[in-house]
Amino acid sequence: MKILHKWLLTLCVAIACLTIVTSWALTHIEKKINVLMPSSFSDASQNLAKEFNRTHRGRIHLTITKGPLQTESISDLAISSLILGKAPFDLLLMDVTWVPLYAAADWLMPLDRWFSKSDIESLAGGAKLGNSYQGKLYRWPYVTSMGLLYWRTDLMNKPPRTPDELISVSKKLQEDKKIPYGYVWQGRQYEGLSCNFLEVIDGFGGTWLDIKTGKVGLNSPAAIEAAEWMKELITSGVSPESVTNFAEPESLQAFRSGDAALMRNWPFAWAELQRPDSSVKGLVGVTTMVSSPRHSPAATLGSWGMAILKGTPNPDAAAEVIKFMSSEKAQKELFIKHGYTPTQSAVFNDKELIDYSPILSELLRALEVTKARPETPLYAQISDVLQRQLSSILTGQDKVDDGMNRAQQNTEQILISSGEKT
Amino acid sequence: MTVLLLLPAIILVGIIFGVPLIRYAWLSGHADSVITGLVAIPNNGANWLRLVNDQRFWQDTFQTVRFSIFSVGIELVLALGIALLLDQRWRGRGIVRAISLLPWALPTTMMALGWRWIFNTPFGPIHHFTEILGLPSFNILSNPQITWIATVFADVWKTTPFIAIILLAGLQTIPSDLYEAFRLEGGQSFKALTKITLPLLKPYILMGLLFRLAQAFGVFDLIQVLTGGGPASSTESLALYAYINAMRFLDFGYSATVMIGSFCLMILACSIVWLVVSIKSQFRRSVE
Repeated sequence: MKILHKWLLTLCVAIACLTIVTSWALTHIEKKINVLMPSSFSDASQNLAKEFNRTHRGRIHLTITKGPLQTESISDLAISSLILGKAPFDLLLMDVTWVPLYAAADWLMPLDRWFSKSDIESLAGGAKLGNSYQGKLYRWPYVTSMGLLYWRTDLMNKPPRTPDELISVSKKLQEDKKIPYGYVWQGRQYEGLSCNFLEVIDGFGGTWLDIKTGKVGLNSPAAIEAAEWMKELITSGVSPESVTNFAEPESLQAFRSGDAALMRNWPFAWAELQRPDSSVKGLVGVTTMVSSPRHSPAATLGSWGMAILKGTPNPDAAAEVIKFMSSEKAQKELFIKHGYTPTQSAVFNDKELIDYSPILSELLRALEVTKARPETPLYAQISDVLQRQLSSILTGQDKVDDGMNRAQQNTEQILISSGEKT
Repeated sequence: MTVLLLLPAIILVGIIFGVPLIRYAWLSGHADSVITGLVAIPNNGANWLRLVNDQRFWQDTFQTVRFSIFSVGIELVLALGIALLLDQRWRGRGIVRAISLLPWALPTTMMALGWRWIFNTPFGPIHHFTEILGLPSFNILSNPQITWIATVFADVWKTTPFIAIILLAGLQTIPSDLYEAFRLEGGQSFKALTKITLPLLKPYILMGLLFRLAQAFGVFDLIQVLTGGGPASSTESLALYAYINAMRFLDFGYSATVMIGSFCLMILACSIVWLVVSIKSQFRRSVE
């Protein structure tokens, strides 16, 4: 009987010890971090994730959830899971225009705890933009991107610097029958049109929307001038009429096959133009967008960055993932393998990278003049209004002043009805 | 006593339909978006002013009405033919009846996904056939001028059986001795259609019409999956616009305004249809 008692006691102690050890292990063993990315980014990031899991074995395990490719679809997916409460992700790779909306909806955790002032200082020019909302840091840039002007080095000695020059250079080349079209850009009714317009209106010295004062500048003289110039590109034949249905791939195709002397596009186009089947390989230069003589050029910022979602059980581990994925080493790999523009200014001075890519210095210069799109939670709505009105101006359904006046009025109404402006 | 017995049903209907409707009507007079921290704040009808001036709302109204008229109209004609055919006695009728109901039994999202692949350029079969025939390729889902036709086509394919079933039920209530008498009196069989079948079928046609109009006016799933409202918002419906306002822009106040606005328009459309049909029959009665 006594022996049985002893045995029972030992068994109880053993079970108790085992429970304590397992529960300790369960809380201290590998923390799981799940990041949602658009499919293109998730494919490109797999190597980094593998590397991260190798160096953090036993502590943190990173999984990348592959989301849809399209920006809108991935935002829909994220929002519908966030709106229901706890999201199944710890980290989200976000487009620059989502930050105010997500931050205002209180879905993101401020990152100021993990990223210091000097961390922010180490970012290159425009990469610093679009990460904060109302003074708090919510997103850390992963890759950056900005609007660039591509020009043909065999057709001109130097790229045009002003809007008038762009038209005259193009016309001259077209009259000399050297090229079918002067300039191709993105004129379809979609987000890219807003990006194109932002560069032009800033180049003419205007402002789309001043967030601090709430002043909408879409029917200002500069905005009218900008819209008129874009319209003139089409009416004068400098841009093909079909440019009103061009997105990035169409303009790239036209430029790549040698049908246009100038193109507005993002940095990813560079690698495409250097492929063996490109007819302009080695004949392309990169610079910033044109601007009127009294104003400096602007490049629309398009960047993706990581944010920690509220409700993650492991925010510290998530921050560690962000630091690893945006380290200089990771950025070098992403630039060389996938052409993603770095965000750390130190990477731009890297000897190896400068030798590898001739446009790195131009990218850095463009980053210095980057402009963020209006940072408001209402961005999607006001951009939609602008796209509609610009599209009807460019396709000749509306006069420039009428269209821009309507854009102004509709934008103001959105701001008023949502309580942003009274 | 009657009222007392009806009370549970009235309360149930009131809770299911009345409460959301009143809530949305109330919300449409308020700003309720991320800007206000998702708290409703009265904004003195600014939502309604914005709705009246909102080009996108009126474009979507036009598109929704166009979609409803074309899809319901075509469905009605096709369904009448199918119902007449299925009402005849012939071998294998039972099997054909079952098969013709299949599209209606499919979940809309599934069939919309299927059509999206069929219409796809350059991977879909339609593009493939035009290529074989040497015709120029029309990008069905990326040409704002024609994409809406594809949405009508898919909707007709899916919901024609629904009207056909209603009309078939109506046809079976018409006593066969009416036709017999008509024949004995020397009437032509084609005239039987306009003199007996259609007039007696009218209440069923009206019911199918109202059912389908209400459904087509609120179309969401088909458009969301097939085109997502594109290209260039050319197929966006009012329901989709309300959804986008709520789920993409997180502007619940304006989303409610769009919903209530389109609800009023739908009531208007249905009453017009009902009025036209009933005035016509009154007119005919007075002539006779």
